[in-house]
Amino acid sequence: MQQTVSLPKINFTEVFSTKNGAIYQSDSEGCWYIDFAGKLARFDYRNLLKLKKAVYQIDIEDLLLNSDKSADLEIIFICACDHCYVLSLLQIIKLKDLLQGTFTMLELNHIIFDRLHRIIS
Amino acid sequence: MKDIIRVKCLLSSDVETLLNQQIKKEAHSSAIYLSMASWCNRNGYDFSADYFFKQAEEERQHQLKIYKYVLDMGGTSISPDITNIKLEYNSFREVFEDALDQEISVTQSLKNIAARCQKEQDFITLEFLNWFFREQREEEFKARRALELFEVIGEEGTGRWQIDKHVGQIVYSSEA
Repeated sequence: MQQTVSLPKINFTEVFSTKNGAIYQSDSEGCWYIDFAGKLARFDYRNLLKLKKAVYQIDIEDLLLNSDKSADLEIIFICACDHCYVLSLLQIIKLKDLLQGTFTMLELNHIIFDRLHRIIS
Repeated sequence: MKDIIRVKCLLSSDVETLLNQQIKKEAHSSAIYLSMASWCNRNGYDFSADYFFKQAEEERQHQLKIYKYVLDMGGTSISPDITNIKLEYNSFREVFEDALDQEISVTQSLKNIAARCQKEQDFITLEFLNWFFREQREEEFKARRALELFEVIGEEGTGRWQIDKHVGQIVYSSEA
């Protein structure tokens, strides 16, 4: 007899995407999924902020001007988070781009909530 | 799409950053006062040393107040690292000049946060800051009065001894 497995239904909303990756929000789980560098990783509120901080802190200009022979790889490791990224300089720029777009969209969503939903309802 | 960030935290990231800077500033103030207490004690100004110990404790309380507020609102408060604390002063008077400067800079940075809150319509943090503005009135008053003792009493003869004795007696008693 064939067994059917029912997976829990999770609805994603795309927050922001570029041609290099995308970030989705799951309302039911209260978290975000980042599709970047070949993997889909789940980030909760704290970890997303920590990722943002870690990525924004990287001095891209310094890495570009750096003439050392070392590889231009950065390891983005976030405390108490299951995921870590090992990214090249180009990927860092792309991830930063993705995060900046995401936070702008989240901010916009916040403004819409404040101005429309929270005042009218 | 839910507004998850707002659900988790009342503070905007800008206000949170400013409050964390203020936590650092208060901690720095507290450390400076402690250093002043040490200088006064080493140089025989016992009453002034006590005055600065008390001030150091007060600044520490201010720091904790903001620290807990940030946490209560769902933010992340950061325990600051404090370096570069002045150890030596050229004169008794310089200690009090620095103390007033310190208070003025704290007031200024609180004003800066309030301006940001007003811009964002964060009336909750603004209301929280009101307590600090009241406190700054007293702090600046006390620091200014202490410095004025140098003019009123004068440093000649037993002047500095007199000043030291009077520093601890400065009270701000405005009802306004």
